[in-house]
Amino acid sequence: MTVPAENVGVQPDVGREQTRDGYERVYVWDLIVRASHWIIMLSIFTLAGTGIYIGDPFLIPSGATNEQFVMGNVKVVHSYAAIVFTLTVAVRIGWMFVGSYYARWREFVPTTARRIRDVFGMLKFYLFLAKKPPLNVGHNPLAGSIYLLVFALYLLMIATGFALYSVSADGYMEMWNFLLPLFGGAQMARWIHHVAMWFILGFFAHHIWSAMLVSKVEGMGLIDSMFSGYKFLPPGWRNRDD
Amino acid sequence: MDDPSSDFGRELLARGVSRREFLGFCTSLAVMIGLPRSASAAIAEAIENNPKPTLVWLNFQDCAGNTESFLRASKPTAAEVILDLISIDYHEVIMAAAGHQAEANLRSVVESQSGQYIAVVEGSIPTGAGGAYMTVGGRSALQIANEVCGNALATIAAGTCASFGGIPAASPNPTGALGISDAVPGIKTLINLSACPVNAQNLTATLVYFLTYSKWPPLDHLNRPLFAYGKSIHDNCERRAHYDSGQYVEQWGDEAHRDGQCLYKMGCKGPVSFQNCPNIGWNDNTSWPVACGHGCIGCAEPDFWDKMTPFYEHLPGFPGFGRGSDIDKIGFWGTLGVTGAFAAHTLTHLGKRLVQNGGDKAQEGPPASTPLDEGDEK
Ligand code: HEM
Ligand code: HEM
Ligand code: SF4
Ligand code: SF4
Repeated sequence: MTVPAENVGVQPDVGREQTRDGYERVYVWDLIVRASHWIIMLSIFTLAGTGIYIGDPFLIPSGATNEQFVMGNVKVVHSYAAIVFTLTVAVRIGWMFVGSYYARWREFVPTTARRIRDVFGMLKFYLFLAKKPPLNVGHNPLAGSIYLLVFALYLLMIATGFALYSVSADGYMEMWNFLLPLFGGAQMARWIHHVAMWFILGFFAHHIWSAMLVSKVEGMGLIDSMFSGYKFLPPGWRNRDD
Repeated sequence: MDDPSSDFGRELLARGVSRREFLGFCTSLAVMIGLPRSASAAIAEAIENNPKPTLVWLNFQDCAGNTESFLRASKPTAAEVILDLISIDYHEVIMAAAGHQAEANLRSVVESQSGQYIAVVEGSIPTGAGGAYMTVGGRSALQIANEVCGNALATIAAGTCASFGGIPAASPNPTGALGISDAVPGIKTLINLSACPVNAQNLTATLVYFLTYSKWPPLDHLNRPLFAYGKSIHDNCERRAHYDSGQYVEQWGDEAHRDGQCLYKMGCKGPVSFQNCPNIGWNDNTSWPVACGHGCIGCAEPDFWDKMTPFYEHLPGFPGFGRGSDIDKIGFWGTLGVTGAFAAHTLTHLGKRLVQNGGDKAQEGPPASTPLDEGDEK
């Protein structure tokens, strides 16, 4: 298949390979993107499970108080999962600036005219006004902007979480107590922490269905790509990519 | 041995407070402020001999609860003697003078001792309607505060109303009430002793600290002395072991409540409130709220009436669903709603495709040529 020279432009440096039926197998998500996505997902499940218990301890052990440590243990798990979550988010955000082409921040902030156009193209598709979603190799720009909000929620969870941790911290973790007044006190920080969790879980509910839908209609192996790193691009994708 | 030769010794004697009791009081103050026990000698020395500052006490929009807290020791204690020795030249609730004479006393302190007296403020300052919600002798609370606090050596806000606006400033704040720091910005030295009401022990300790060291104790970001507000209620609570073990009161009067277990599920705000109640207690350390079986309501925190309510719920609830609504329930159904909506959306999309493609037909064999994507010809 030939591509008009004027359409080639600057292609990202990604591994690609022609498949038998003219599709191109492109390595889109590097290991850090994939690993961070799944580690973040698992830590969120752990944090949400333990967090809901912290907010409303529904299991009440019987027996002598000095032999029980249920809330204590749950908070320990929450804290360790929080460390994993925070470090992974930090790595992923750093990777937005030094990582491979499709891991970069431009995937999340629609800056080029075409990506801004595709935000609306994607909206039209979701609203049944267009039959096909616009073709993109990386994140589609609408999804990308939503992920930006999701990352903002991650940072909010981290900031409120550290603020709450600082209330009882002894030692260097106490330094985070400067965050408390920014959130309007510890009770407000707790409220924000709790409500933002439900926004993340709400996003998750939308995310899996949209991933399935887009995966199916794009036919580029979107969901698989988050495991393997490869997408399958139909002939002609170079015309569309930036 | 009481030393009847000094004013202070005579005063103690007259009140029936022994020297031993007085020294014990100094030691407990030293410990409370976070100083070594040995500092108690310096404290005793300072209380006996250092010149006592003049104090004026302003009552603004308040319930006089801080005055009550301050005056109502159950027995004449060493603390009370000290507070009596500090010359309180103006206090609307307890002074003998009235009317113009009282106002003249205040004016004379402000003029003759400018920069040397301590102003204690109780109550919030209404700023609405040009200050008309509260006037004394024809002057608004704001004018009085500006003049009296502006010329003071230091201002102590006694109670949450004076510190942060408190209950009068609670939503919708009809009088435009403000705490001192907001109403009179730029005061040289401001110490907030929030709590509803102020704990007399913290007020005494703050004054004694100043008497002893001629400076004020270290403060937190809300201008509250760290010795009293540096730790959360939760971290010093005697019921903390029950919290960590996961044993909670779930209903007033249930077995756990009778056993004295943790009040977290009854809305205790101890984990998000800062004061030394568990250590120093109230009413001469007879008790404190959690020890009585009631959760902390966070009375020393800014906007506590808006932020800590409902007092018997863990969180304030979600806007639009009522105060104290169950966030987890709303979140759960909301998430389920999103799932349903996007499931229906996805299935509609796929269903439409299926119909347009004329049913679910898998390819018979490998494609002979590569089809170009429509719309991407060029
Ligand atoms: C997506 C990530 C997270 C989720 C879903 C989550 C969820 C929750 C929830 C629901 C609570 C209970 C709040 C309440 O009602 O009192 C909680 C408490 C807490 N979280 Fe997280 N959390 C997350 C991340 C973090 C992080 C990064 C930290 C950082 C240290 C953290 C620290 C805490 C602390 C210290 C508490 C205890 C508050 C208390 O003692 O009352 N969390 N979390
Ligand atoms: C708590 C759960 C989850 C959260 C918060 C989450 C969040 C995210 C975020 C932030 C991205 C952008 C990734 C990046 O570039 O670093 C992303 C991408 C992706 N996620 Fe998830 N995810 C979750 C669970 C899942 C699950 C269960 C699946 C599988 C069905 C999935 C499939 C995908 C796919 C296919 C992409 C690439 C989508 C695209 O390019 O638009 N995610 N997810
Ligand atoms: S009663 Fe309140 S302050 Fe005490 S441990 Fe329980 S939640 Fe904390
Ligand atoms: S226990 Fe809480 S509500 Fe009660 S006096 Fe102390 S800080 Fe205020």
